[in-house]
Amino acid sequence: MPASHRKIILPLALLGAFLAFAFVASATPANRVAFVKHYDRFLPKSLANCTTCHLPSDKKNPESLEEFPHNPFGDRLRKLGEEAGKAGKKLDIPHRLAEIAKEDSDGDGVDNETELLLGHNPGNAKDSPSKKELADGKKKIAEWTKALASYRWLPFETVKRPPVPAIRHSSFVIRNPIDSFIAAEHQARKLTPRPEASKEVLLRRVYLDLIGLSPTPEQMSAFLADKSADAYEKAVDHLLDSPRYGERWARHWMDVWRYSDWTGYQNIPRDSKPHIWRWRDWIIESLNADKGYDRMLLEMLAADELAPTDESALRATGFLVRNFNSLSRERWLENTIGHTFQAFQGVTMNCAKCHDHMYDPISQREYYEVRSIFEGHQVRTDRVPGQVDTDKTGDGLVRIYDATLAPKTYVLARGDERKPLTNEVMQPNVPRIFGAKYEAKPVTLPLLAVRPDKRDFVVKDDLAAAEHSLADAREFLADLKEGTSTNSAKPLTGKAATRAKAAAAKLPPALKPLPTAKTVAEGERNVALAEARVNSFKTTLAAEKLETKKNSPEWKKAAEEAVVAQRKAAVLEAKLTLEEAEVATKVAQAKADKDAQGGDKGITAKSATALTTAKKTLTTAEKAMAKADKDLTAPVTTAYAPNKFEAFPPTSTGRRLALAQWFASKDNPLTARVAVNHIWAHHFGRGLVPTLNEFGRNGQPPSHPQLLDWLAAEFMARDWKMKDIHRLIVTSSTYRMASTPDAASAKLDRDNVYLWRMNSRRMEAEAVRDNVLHVSGSLDLAMGGPDIDNKLGLTSKRRSVYLRIAPEKEVEFIKIFDGPNPVECYSRPVTVMPHQALAMANSELTFTQADVLAETLTAKSGNDDAKFITAAYERVLARKPTKEEAKLCADFLKQQIAKPAKRPGAPGTAGILPASSTTTNAAAMSKPSAPAEAINTRASRPRSDAQRARENLVMVLFNHNDFVTIR
Amino acid sequence: MKTPNPFGACGVTRRQFLTQTGMGFTGVALGAMLFKDGVLRANDAPAFTPPNGQPQFTPRAKSVIWIFLIGGLSHLESFDVKPELNKYAGKLIEDTPHKGVVNDTLIKQNLPNIDTQKRDVYKKIMALNTGYRTHGQSGLVVSDWFPHLGSCADDLAVVRSFWTIDNNHGAQLTFHTGRNVREGAHPTIGSWVTYGLGSLTDNLPEFVVIGEPSADCCGGVWTHGAAYLGPQYSGVRLNTDPSKPLAFIKPADPTMTPEEQEHNFSLLGKLNRLSGIDYPDDEFLRARIKSYELAFQMQTAIPDTLGLQKESEATKKMYGLDQKETETFGQQCLVARRMVERGVRFIQLFHGGIGSAGAWDSHRDIKANHSRLARNVDQPIAALIKDLKQRGLLDDTLVVIGTEFGRTPGADFNEGAMGTGRDHHPHGFTCVLAGGGTKGGIVHGATDELGFHAVENRHYVTDLHATVLHQMGLDPRKLQYPGRQRLDVDYGEVIRGILA
Repeated sequence: MPASHRKIILPLALLGAFLAFAFVASATPANRVAFVKHYDRFLPKSLANCTTCHLPSDKKNPESLEEFPHNPFGDRLRKLGEEAGKAGKKLDIPHRLAEIAKEDSDGDGVDNETELLLGHNPGNAKDSPSKKELADGKKKIAEWTKALASYRWLPFETVKRPPVPAIRHSSFVIRNPIDSFIAAEHQARKLTPRPEASKEVLLRRVYLDLIGLSPTPEQMSAFLADKSADAYEKAVDHLLDSPRYGERWARHWMDVWRYSDWTGYQNIPRDSKPHIWRWRDWIIESLNADKGYDRMLLEMLAADELAPTDESALRATGFLVRNFNSLSRERWLENTIGHTFQAFQGVTMNCAKCHDHMYDPISQREYYEVRSIFEGHQVRTDRVPGQVDTDKTGDGLVRIYDATLAPKTYVLARGDERKPLTNEVMQPNVPRIFGAKYEAKPVTLPLLAVRPDKRDFVVKDDLAAAEHSLADAREFLADLKEGTSTNSAKPLTGKAATRAKAAAAKLPPALKPLPTAKTVAEGERNVALAEARVNSFKTTLAAEKLETKKNSPEWKKAAEEAVVAQRKAAVLEAKLTLEEAEVATKVAQAKADKDAQGGDKGITAKSATALTTAKKTLTTAEKAMAKADKDLTAPVTTAYAPNKFEAFPPTSTGRRLALAQWFASKDNPLTARVAVNHIWAHHFGRGLVPTLNEFGRNGQPPSHPQLLDWLAAEFMARDWKMKDIHRLIVTSSTYRMASTPDAASAKLDRDNVYLWRMNSRRMEAEAVRDNVLHVSGSLDLAMGGPDIDNKLGLTSKRRSVYLRIAPEKEVEFIKIFDGPNPVECYSRPVTVMPHQALAMANSELTFTQADVLAETLTAKSGNDDAKFITAAYERVLARKPTKEEAKLCADFLKQQIAKPAKRPGAPGTAGILPASSTTTNAAAMSKPSAPAEAINTRASRPRSDAQRARENLVMVLFNHNDFVTIR
Repeated sequence: MKTPNPFGACGVTRRQFLTQTGMGFTGVALGAMLFKDGVLRANDAPAFTPPNGQPQFTPRAKSVIWIFLIGGLSHLESFDVKPELNKYAGKLIEDTPHKGVVNDTLIKQNLPNIDTQKRDVYKKIMALNTGYRTHGQSGLVVSDWFPHLGSCADDLAVVRSFWTIDNNHGAQLTFHTGRNVREGAHPTIGSWVTYGLGSLTDNLPEFVVIGEPSADCCGGVWTHGAAYLGPQYSGVRLNTDPSKPLAFIKPADPTMTPEEQEHNFSLLGKLNRLSGIDYPDDEFLRARIKSYELAFQMQTAIPDTLGLQKESEATKKMYGLDQKETETFGQQCLVARRMVERGVRFIQLFHGGIGSAGAWDSHRDIKANHSRLARNVDQPIAALIKDLKQRGLLDDTLVVIGTEFGRTPGADFNEGAMGTGRDHHPHGFTCVLAGGGTKGGIVHGATDELGFHAVENRHYVTDLHATVLHQMGLDPRKLQYPGRQRLDVDYGEVIRGILA
């Protein structure tokens, strides 16, 4: 037993053997864990501790479990293990438990298992169930017996691939093992699977599922015309190869991984960080490249330790950056731990922050062991080429690193940050229930990761910026001389000035902004200053480059040049500071004089203090000036000051890497199960485990445990390639079924838990918006880049995944269609609300796109209404209209033309084609413009009543239930 | 704007109209075709007739205003005042003559999940944090935090003997569905009412949600959802803040006239029904068809309903719109009255939705917390009851004031509470009803002398649901949905003792 444990136990032991007893047990819970796992939800809480097998210790200060004797039940278990050991075999606890289930260890007439299940101690003859309890407990025992006989769902046990059931006499084509597992349940439950969906329905379904965009009429007719046996498989391959796949599925994973752009108060980030969109781009690119899920995990949690100089991989740590919280480190870490485990393990760790987990065997202590993995990590923003400013106005690579090598984590009493139990520092570890060996090794980081400012492009950019500043100063001076200066920028005041000053202080001298210049003299001063700065920066760089040949004549020469340049620059800097101090003192003096006349004591005292401070600054500046002047004439040395750069710790704890490696290990019981369940849920509208973020006991058990385990095993066997799993799923017969109803099956399985048909689903918010743009031919397929202002949600033509999303920075249209809650969104609710109808019927997005599409279709179909109607159906709903539908639409068009609604300022003209040129209109519509502008363009645009009717028809189809529904 | 359909006056409810005429704008009987054909095609002939939208017997109420205080109102310091707490303040329960009240058998019986969810029973008695007095002819005792509701005493039916099954805030969901949060979504009382009765208006949703609802921890959208009844019966959230009008309430194109849009929507309704023939059991399709009809009407009805400028200054003052503390909730209560006037069936009014557990959850500083919150709601709710009464609407409108559980007689010493608040208390708590055919000035049921257990006329939360349904003319046992097995506990028993 480690000394650290003993320290606590000894004083506790004085309180009574029993208290200490409980403690020792939780310190070595391996057997307990096995026990708890075996009985799972059937184990009453009161028996999930060591008294089930042990007696209280007779020793005064018990130090290990050895000193707690076994009760008859525990003794029997131990002996059984020893016997097996003697025979050279190993018999684990679950097998031993099974072996003595029907024995009666304590001789009270009730067998061990019955006692256990009914909450009585099998090793204590005085603790037996009453007759009533025995009678009442029959149901529970029957359930347990049934559970033992059926496939056991053991989410905390390593995944074992279950055998694929052999299916006989099925009308359901078994295309791959998914179908076998599904068909087995069909047969067991007498469900009749629906036949395959029509080709049109199927193609639209798989397009929307895989790339989030419906097939164009050309894609549809090509598919319908392809009579080869693998036409569908070819279409699937084509979709999985499309870059649109990454965009579609990135949004799903962004829900789980809680993507959020930054939000804050008065433009200061409080939650998440600027430039986090790079992580979103990394997700999209990784999915498109079919990077293994294991590798994605590793990069998201520990790219800085795994690939410290790989700027592409570092973006992945946005997963952790997202938890940044400027107000509370406590909250930051709580979110980090909680959401990391919910996302990758489907376990609610946060329940154990204040007390032992109420449902799952995770202790409070274990929570803090996990916390110590994250305790030292921090966020930083590294420079990117071409951008000096890493703040929210500029650009940068926002990423994670370890700021402290030996951070101290303590258990917080009842989770209260004000009450750390400082007598013991927690060591990083993962909860025992997962049965992992956790071992973190510190990682030595390469120079460029530690000193990112030493990267070539940073030096080059800095130099360019300094030279740019010099050129500006020269140009400005020329303007001043000619009297054409246009510099009217007001100097910053108040907090903004303080903030700008603080920001400038962080910059190398060469990048500091120059003071304002109003006169030619000031302009000349700025040019001189900028020249001196550039010179000092350049010469210092030259000297630093030669540092490998220190003391060589070349180095000596360069070093001396640097010293001279630095001294010259210092004189000018000192002069500037002195001038500023002189001005400030004068201003302070004037104010003090004026206030003294006012007579208000408080004000007088305040301005007097300000004057004293100003004078002090002036004295310091004078001294600095004198020193700079003196240095200039001193003998030249080689002691130049190095250029400024930021430096970070040269090693990282390796703690996050060890955690990620354990997540990404094939021995981890949950990673693959949780991941394939998410994938499944997005294809079928419901997870095999319906509680996507809760695989613990507080969640719901899976409908098809074998299938989930098989998929998890298959996922790992295929190197965690997600595209393989998609392909397996969407090419299965299960996926291809129609979603039409069947009364007999519905009677047996109303919720379609056992998948006798496909589920109809509503498109997610982003897909609704994307498809309005897509079917109109307006969707801008540009990929990546900074988040698009959420205010442009209705006018931007980019895919929705690129729109800004953060608390209070959401697109209303997306929100209304149950868009993701950026705080937490493991699964989205699906509602049907009149708000959605209003958004589709009244928004400028649908109005403008209806016009664009109507115009395109009119250009193709001319005066032929029937052609127009068919084309509109094919484009918007990816199918042809039925005869009845076509007739209703044709009547609608005729009626609207015959009786046009009175519209202000929209003159109608005869005929289909409007007087205005079609190209101008299309051009006007295709660019994102201010909302009012787009609508005004529409309102005032002359077009015929017939065309207006067609626009209305397209609008109706956008609002059609089939448009937002995936059948 | 249609005037509200008088109660069953023309003999055709909206639902009947819908099934007969196909829910259309133009009355083309496609809906009937859809459902008949769909049923035939699917060969689905269950022995089930959906509710016909008519009360099953003479109703006492037409509308319900269901006010829910999120987080747990202290029954002890509102409508179930216990002087014994002052007497024994600071003592342990077992050191008082009432030591028998901590009845473990009852606790276990109330909380079936006690096996997995432990919570301390705080036994150190905390004195009342406010005074109390009797009110009205009935002499109802109400705490001094609720003086305005006290002045309505003779119109209130106070039920002091509710209990529930969850000692955490999942009880918010339980209060609306009768089920534990771990059982997931089940139809809420509002959805049963609208499923059973349908609407009195075509212009507004029949089930409206006002205020910030329970957070996701505690039921979230499920607390006003319809679960298997289908999304068309779930509550529609409406913002009553005039500074944030309903998004997309008007066509972005100003040249789109109502007539033109109606023409569009009419075609849409027909097309949706046609293509839905293959999916007769698709609740989402039905809900979407309905949502478009409503959306069309709401464009004029919502600004009208939320526009309080037509209300007199006296009315606004009565609801407390002139004071900062009562302005928000007062406005919501006033809007609730306007909705009742316009035929909305079920108005679920949330107070205290602040994310997480809810504002009323007072583990610490209950005195400051509850007195502030009571100030927010007391005057507005009282004004609502009085206003309904003076307009002759209280007879037809059932007002319910509920919360997920009460608060412990003992002081909470958990997580820094330091004995300044009270913990969750599912074993005995109070709900208050007014109007809609309930007796005024009556107290029904009782907790023991410390306010610990409901001991007299015990009522589970679904008894409240049964009572609401009964007043609306519905028998909960006759409200069924095909293919769904309801449990006995789901139906509840009508609380007959409070009915007039």
